Amino acid sequence: MDPECSRLLPALCAVLADPRQPVADDTCLEKLLDWFTAVTEAGSSLLLLQENPCLVELLFHVLKSQDLSSRILSFSLRLAGIFAAQENCFQYLQQGELLPMLFGEVGPLGGTSWTAPTVRSGWIQGLHTLAQHPSALRFLAACGAVDTIFSLQGDPSLFVASAAGQLLVHILDLAMRGPAEGHRSPQACDWPACAQKIVGHIEDSLCSTAIPQVTQALSVLTTVFGHCHGLWTQGLWVRLSPFVARLLEKDPVPASHSLVDFLLSVARSAPSSDRGLWETLAQTLSHLSPTQAGPLAFGILKLQDCPQALRTQAFGILLQPLACVLEAAAQAPGALGLLGAAAGDSVAVGTLLSSRPACVGLLCCALAHLGLLQPLPQRPSPWPQVPLLGAAVTILRLCSGSAAPTSDVGGRLCAILVGCGRVQRAALDFLGALSQGTGPQELVTQVFSVLLEYLVSPESSSMVLKKAFQATLGWLLRSPKTPGCCDLDPHTQLFLRELLPVLQKRLCSPCWEVRDSGLEFLTQMTRHWGGQAGFRQALLASEVPELTKQLLRDPESYVRASAVTATGQLSSWGLCATPASPERPGAQQSLLAELLHILSTDSEGFPRRAVMQVFTEWLRDGHTDVAEDAERFVAGVLQAVSRDLDWEVRAQGLELALVFLEQLLGQRGSHCPCAVAPPEAAPPGLLAHALQVLGRVQLFEFALRALFDCDRPVAQKSCDLLLFLRAKAAPCGSPREAGDGPNVASVGATLQKWQAGEQGQPLGLLEPAAVVALLRSIDLEGLRDTLAESSDHVEKSPQSLLQDMLAAVGALGESGADCY
Amino acid sequence: MPEIRVTPLGAGQDVGRSCILVSIAGKNVMLDCGMHMGFSDDRRFPDFSYITRSGRLTDFLDCVIISHFHLDHCGALPYFSEMVGYDGPIYMTQPTQAICPILLEDYRKIAVDKKGEARFFTSQMIKDCMKKVVAVHLHQTVQVDDELEIKAYYAGHVLGAAMFQIKVGSESVVYTGDYNMTPDRHLGAAWIDKCRPNLLITESTYATTIRDSKRCRERDFLKKVHETVERGGKVLIPVFALGRAQELCILLETFWERVGLKAPIYFSTGLTEKANHYYKLFIPWTNQKIRKTFVQRNMFEFKHIKAFDRAFADSPGPMVVFATPGMLHAGQSLQIFRKWAGNEKNMVIMPGYCVQGTVGHKILSGQRKLEMEGRQVLEVKMQVEYMSFSAHADAKGIMQLVGQAEPENVLLVHGEAKKMEFLKQKIEQEFRVSCYMPANGETVTLPTSPSIPVGISLGLLKREMAQGLLPDAKKPRLLHGTLIMKDSNFRLVSSEQALKELGLAEHQLRFTCRVHLHDTRKEQETAVRVYSHLKSVLKDHCVQHLPDGSVTVESILIQAAAHSEDPGTKVLLVSWTYQDEELGSYLTSLLKKGLPQAS
Repeated sequence: MDPECSRLLPALCAVLADPRQPVADDTCLEKLLDWFTAVTEAGSSLLLLQENPCLVELLFHVLKSQDLSSRILSFSLRLAGIFAAQENCFQYLQQGELLPMLFGEVGPLGGTSWTAPTVRSGWIQGLHTLAQHPSALRFLAACGAVDTIFSLQGDPSLFVASAAGQLLVHILDLAMRGPAEGHRSPQACDWPACAQKIVGHIEDSLCSTAIPQVTQALSVLTTVFGHCHGLWTQGLWVRLSPFVARLLEKDPVPASHSLVDFLLSVARSAPSSDRGLWETLAQTLSHLSPTQAGPLAFGILKLQDCPQALRTQAFGILLQPLACVLEAAAQAPGALGLLGAAAGDSVAVGTLLSSRPACVGLLCCALAHLGLLQPLPQRPSPWPQVPLLGAAVTILRLCSGSAAPTSDVGGRLCAILVGCGRVQRAALDFLGALSQGTGPQELVTQVFSVLLEYLVSPESSSMVLKKAFQATLGWLLRSPKTPGCCDLDPHTQLFLRELLPVLQKRLCSPCWEVRDSGLEFLTQMTRHWGGQAGFRQALLASEVPELTKQLLRDPESYVRASAVTATGQLSSWGLCATPASPERPGAQQSLLAELLHILSTDSEGFPRRAVMQVFTEWLRDGHTDVAEDAERFVAGVLQAVSRDLDWEVRAQGLELALVFLEQLLGQRGSHCPCAVAPPEAAPPGLLAHALQVLGRVQLFEFALRALFDCDRPVAQKSCDLLLFLRAKAAPCGSPREAGDGPNVASVGATLQKWQAGEQGQPLGLLEPAAVVALLRSIDLEGLRDTLAESSDHVEKSPQSLLQDMLAAVGALGESGADCY
Repeated sequence: MPEIRVTPLGAGQDVGRSCILVSIAGKNVMLDCGMHMGFSDDRRFPDFSYITRSGRLTDFLDCVIISHFHLDHCGALPYFSEMVGYDGPIYMTQPTQAICPILLEDYRKIAVDKKGEARFFTSQMIKDCMKKVVAVHLHQTVQVDDELEIKAYYAGHVLGAAMFQIKVGSESVVYTGDYNMTPDRHLGAAWIDKCRPNLLITESTYATTIRDSKRCRERDFLKKVHETVERGGKVLIPVFALGRAQELCILLETFWERVGLKAPIYFSTGLTEKANHYYKLFIPWTNQKIRKTFVQRNMFEFKHIKAFDRAFADSPGPMVVFATPGMLHAGQSLQIFRKWAGNEKNMVIMPGYCVQGTVGHKILSGQRKLEMEGRQVLEVKMQVEYMSFSAHADAKGIMQLVGQAEPENVLLVHGEAKKMEFLKQKIEQEFRVSCYMPANGETVTLPTSPSIPVGISLGLLKREMAQGLLPDAKKPRLLHGTLIMKDSNFRLVSSEQALKELGLAEHQLRFTCRVHLHDTRKEQETAVRVYSHLKSVLKDHCVQHLPDGSVTVESILIQAAAHSEDPGTKVLLVSWTYQDEELGSYLTSLLKKGLPQAS
């Protein structure tokens, strides 16, 4: 421990033990515990207590004090747990009988303070931290803690109840770690008494008629099988499976959600040869209602190893709701395809039609699970892509009201689903997920048609539109290319012609969310298809590029930023404006000027940041307008950026500067300038030229100013840039060699002023030699190490914490209760 | 039994991060999704694992409601929606939707970039989260789904702050968020109608405090600023981008105008412009005075307050600077503080609370030698003042709101346990309602009476009206009819109409009760005695002695018969229809008492 902290500790302990002194901030005690955890992890707890007797005194004092706050009591219990986690320190505390007094019947457990949930929570957390060694196990048994933990499982506080369950698992694991090693499924009679007691309690709870008790037992077991990996867990499953079977006999199955979690947890940890387990899972699937069985079916299908029959059963459950929808809406027989087997399930139909919430819940769940399953390698094979696509399209049509089902069930489903945003969102997500696969052209046409319907519909909410755009993008990007040609196929071409006017309309939406989603969609589409003749033709024939440009002046800054990105992308592909005409010469050039104007004048950070990203990309990719006169471009941008109030814009200015440097001097060897292989020095001729260019664009002054920026990431980026420049320009020599010449001396003086916060003085034009000398003179490595620390590392230090807690004594007024 | 369940994941007996789960008639709603500024790890966010355990979040939660833009109420929202995976609707008012991303963005920049924190949400996540927001207008009833509806009420506190009523069928909960019951310079006072919710969840920051006059606090503030400026010193006021800052700006602007001061006032980082924009946009959310004078003069177009440039900090002479962030933990406010701290002529005024681990917290607790990077020590010679300008209702205001809403139960959040305890007792005594104050993680369960709406037929109502009694909303009335349940609807109609509608024939059911009387006389004589007795007792009723010897009182028939075993006892058979149940029971009990002795 830091000597200064050691010095402050007695005073702090005195403050903590004094009930009249309020503790500064409710986070302080947490941070103090974090610090003690770190200290004890790094060294001996026993030594810590011996060197700082005030800590043990604090614990004794807490026990004696009558009117201590529950927060301090809870803190002390947790603190004692941290110390007692090391066995020798545990023995030391035991000698003073401190632990039984804190955690036994005579302690807070029997007092009035026990009514405070924070004290019960502290008691559990203390024991959890303490229970790391055999002595702790004996202690727990001796002080009867396990029975208290059992009762705390039903605590009115969720936090306490949950922590109690986790502590039981921890104790069981600790108790079983020893005897189970090397034995396969050890017999219950071999298990230690503590484990026997816990398992017995779990068995009793599983038999209980009170559902909360069953839930508690199942959630403990879920954690056991999720976290404990000893062979004994298999023995535990064998022992408990009859109890699970009895639960399944009940109608309805109690605590079904917890039962599903538990069974999946067992399935994930059990060997694939366990037939009993698979039978139980199959039985559970058939006993639960469709809504309850969905998560179990999904979990089973995600398992790496599992019998095919069970997978088929599980998949059938996920498909049931969609099969019902398809069947209800079927215009012609045979539309069900592979889902046919799952159709006609009366329970699923009953749930779907029972009420609107039940129908919505079941469909959303099935769609979400199938959507998550789609990209997984272990998804069922064959994957019924075609009927699933059909189902997604049908659901979307039922929701929009455009389906005209003839059957009674279809009519009722339509009445339930029409206008339901939740199902629309889920179905669009699912449709988007299905774009990873293919489908017959006829069906794909239907997909595009339903997506278009949603994009056009005035009923579509902004979230539905966003998802419709995302799904459309997914389907567009997977469109097959025309054989032997790199252009889009005729169907896609046709769809594009219909889509662009819709996009145009959406870009004029009064709702900023919609305009923004439209622009994001356009950016993505252009990024992928900018080079496709068909896309270019359709886009240029539309008003979309012009509208996008207009959105650069949108009142909403998010939209302006997206418009900047979109126009940047369009411009990269030469799609930004209508083809040059006699009336509008140099349309592209005007965009550069417009973006520069945004960079210099926009009051919000997002558009300015977006401009910088576009500019950096343009410079990197050699955009024609930039490449014409890169020097002028960089000078202009850096000048605008250097005055920016948003440090993220300044940081991106440095990114652009770095790209420019790399173009002048060659690539960096690695992203990290301190990497093993430093960048090679540039040839002298090239270097002299480059340094002159850097001087002209004032990059050097920009970077040096940034080095002393009050915002850490800007300074960090600048440091990286200068390190790179130094490696290229002045690879040899040490800092001591530099510093000669009047130019360097005056620059050094200016830099010192900058560092002190006076940034008014300009640097002036620097000779290349002075640049090299200056780079050698600055301790960039030292600066980089300093900047690597978080900007509040001093305030966050333990010493600072102790000082703050001590200083807060007596200084607390009304501010104690204030927030904003 | 239907019930309302409330579990605070945050703000339960603390003032950290508000996040309250409410379950009402099977609908689950999250009220606020705040962040704790005092932590820089996952503890800053509420522990959402307790909800994710219930299955997919979007399936479990029906909606999230955000009361206002302060980070302790909305700071965890992008984390919750973009990282934890909630994909459902989020409701807030329009100003909150507009201002939230600014504050979230400010905090993100400090947390991720300046302190190098990983696992924090990105700008794109903030935007994506904001796209899920459904903006609500004041007093507009928004239908979340078929059953769940919400309605926003004005809360004062900050621009766009709202209280929300959540209603499912006849059950309702009101959540106040943070509110202020007294108007200030730019906002009005909170208001709610007499909505009589089953439960009112109210903040209780100042549960035991009756706040001193705002005028005194303002005078004190202006005096301190004025004195400092007069002696040539500089005043730094660290603030969060939007909120109290605007209140203080109006205060200073008006004062500067009145006294004719010349010292410049600056506001950092282009925020004046941004604030101006939002305050102009949302003028209906400000107070009456600002709204009235807006056409002549926009209060937010400040004459004296100019945008700050970093170079100004070194300028000589007095000035006042509003700089962000508010706790002096990074950025411009900290940079200016470092420059000015060494001069005793200068002053820093902290208008809000600072968490531990910030320079603001240190100076407020009286520390004057601050360790800086590289073991440098900064000696703070400038004056340090704390002045709370947070706009929460005080104890009086909270009681006033409870009185206004007339809830059946009250639940306190966003306050300290000890203070809550005091207020709880006060509320229970004064309003005779139950008051709860659960800690974080504790669930309060309130049983509610099931209420099923029933339609009443016009015929039945007319018949009731014909009896001369006009309906009175405050007095419950007994109404007889036949309840018909058809197509998930309930209707109360007259029995005749029910018979007609259902095509049933009428069967009359009579209840008969035997009363044993000790009387040795003949049955006819007993009947006469019964008639005379009833005639004398029931003066307002039609009592008849029929030729067959039986007695009737309205539709009730009384016959006397001999006892089969005991000739000294007569059996009175009293029979009535359900319409006269009350009278029948009364007569039975009357006759059981016996007949008066013949004189």
